[in-house]
Amino acid sequence: MDDEYLTVSQVNAYINRMLKYDRNLQNIYIRGEISNYKTYPSGHSYFTLKDDKSQIPAVMFKGRKHSLKFQPEDGMKVIIKGKIEVYERDGKYQLYATTITEDGIGELHIAFEQLKKKLDSEGLFDDAHKKEIPKYPQRIGVVTARTGAAIRDIITTIKRRYPYCEVLVFSTLVQGEMAANQIVRQIRHAQQFDIDTLIVGRGGGSIEDLWPFNEEIVAREIYACRIPVISAVGHEIDWTISDFVADIRAATPTAAAEIAVPEISEVKYKLNQLTQRTNKAINEKLIQNKQKIENISQKQIFKNPESIYEIKQMHLDNLIGKLNLTSKNIITENRNRLLKIESRSVLRNPNEVTKAKRDIFIRNVDKLTILDPLLTLKRGYSIAKMDDKVVSSAKDVKTGDELDIEFDDGTVNTKVI
Amino acid sequence: MEELNFEESLEKLEEIVNKLETGDVPLDDAIDEFTKAMDLVKICNTKLNNAEEAIAKIVKDNGELENFNPNE
Repeated sequence: MDDEYLTVSQVNAYINRMLKYDRNLQNIYIRGEISNYKTYPSGHSYFTLKDDKSQIPAVMFKGRKHSLKFQPEDGMKVIIKGKIEVYERDGKYQLYATTITEDGIGELHIAFEQLKKKLDSEGLFDDAHKKEIPKYPQRIGVVTARTGAAIRDIITTIKRRYPYCEVLVFSTLVQGEMAANQIVRQIRHAQQFDIDTLIVGRGGGSIEDLWPFNEEIVAREIYACRIPVISAVGHEIDWTISDFVADIRAATPTAAAEIAVPEISEVKYKLNQLTQRTNKAINEKLIQNKQKIENISQKQIFKNPESIYEIKQMHLDNLIGKLNLTSKNIITENRNRLLKIESRSVLRNPNEVTKAKRDIFIRNVDKLTILDPLLTLKRGYSIAKMDDKVVSSAKDVKTGDELDIEFDDGTVNTKVI
Repeated sequence: MEELNFEESLEKLEEIVNKLETGDVPLDDAIDEFTKAMDLVKICNTKLNNAEEAIAKIVKDNGELENFNPNE
């Protein structure tokens, strides 16, 4: 199967990928000596880095060279920061340099990077830990050398901007072996005073001069400080560990003073603004309420208060009218009913009623008289009965039956023959 | 009113102004707040105007303070 065979390119690409995955190789510091240093027209420089036993090809691209503080030459002992990858076309691995520093100073750089990494991983640089710098401090502490430009710049700037702020100077060495310990001691000392903000720093200098501010004990003391700390070490371009760990970093001592105190004219302006805004707000409130009162007093009811009871009065009149009308109606209606009843003939002529009743009575008596069976018998009729039942048909009797014949004046017992 | 420092006074003042500016404070409360605000303005102004120019001092190891002139 074709798939079993890799191409050369695939192998080189694979190896390159392996190297790129290796974090150690992607961020490496190598110490060695430069040889065969050549810069091509493209601007890229190619050289070999070697020690007494071994060597590695190296390249620094044109775009990286702005960080060089010196011109590399053959024989120079240097520290190179970079990465190792495969140059796939030639199948060779090489060092891609990002920075080259002279050995010696390079050691400080390594120490710097290592401490920075360590403290960062411990969370000493976390924003969550940063304290806010008081806006209107009454007292600023400064940990720096009592002589030199730094303290002069700080005091001058504070006096110019916010002259009421007191400055307490905690003098310390700011360079050399002893400096770090003194700085630590003075940061502690400062915390025994009622201070709003602490400025820790010094003026510009070489990396060795600034070194105390890259010391771990100084960094940890700044981190632990209860008072908000502004670091102000060297110039704009200089970054120290103190800068990372402080609550805020100022590019220069003057900048630190500007961060520490407000400009007095701005404060006065702000106070003025607030006063005006307060007055405006309360005036608007008053006008608003006045307007409301006016709106209410403009209403018809206040202009013409009679209208309140005029309407009621009208309503009352209306009700009285209705009441009168209703009672009149009731009386009239009843009177009419009475008249109607009175006018009926029965009441006018009661005899007619009795006469009519008597006529009916007489007619009923006549009817009864006609129906009376005794009267019928008197006229010669008789009633045949058998066993006390009236016999009304000849079919109901047979020969030998005994019949009672009732007459007007008595009963005769007979037998059918 | 309790003793406030300059920063606290200014912050409190700002807070009151913001509240007043929303406009939904009842009139009686607004007048109370206004009175408070004016007191704060007075406090701030007094602090600003009466503040003396502070002199820089150097702190000795024993904690004593000494006037300090960086130009000397």
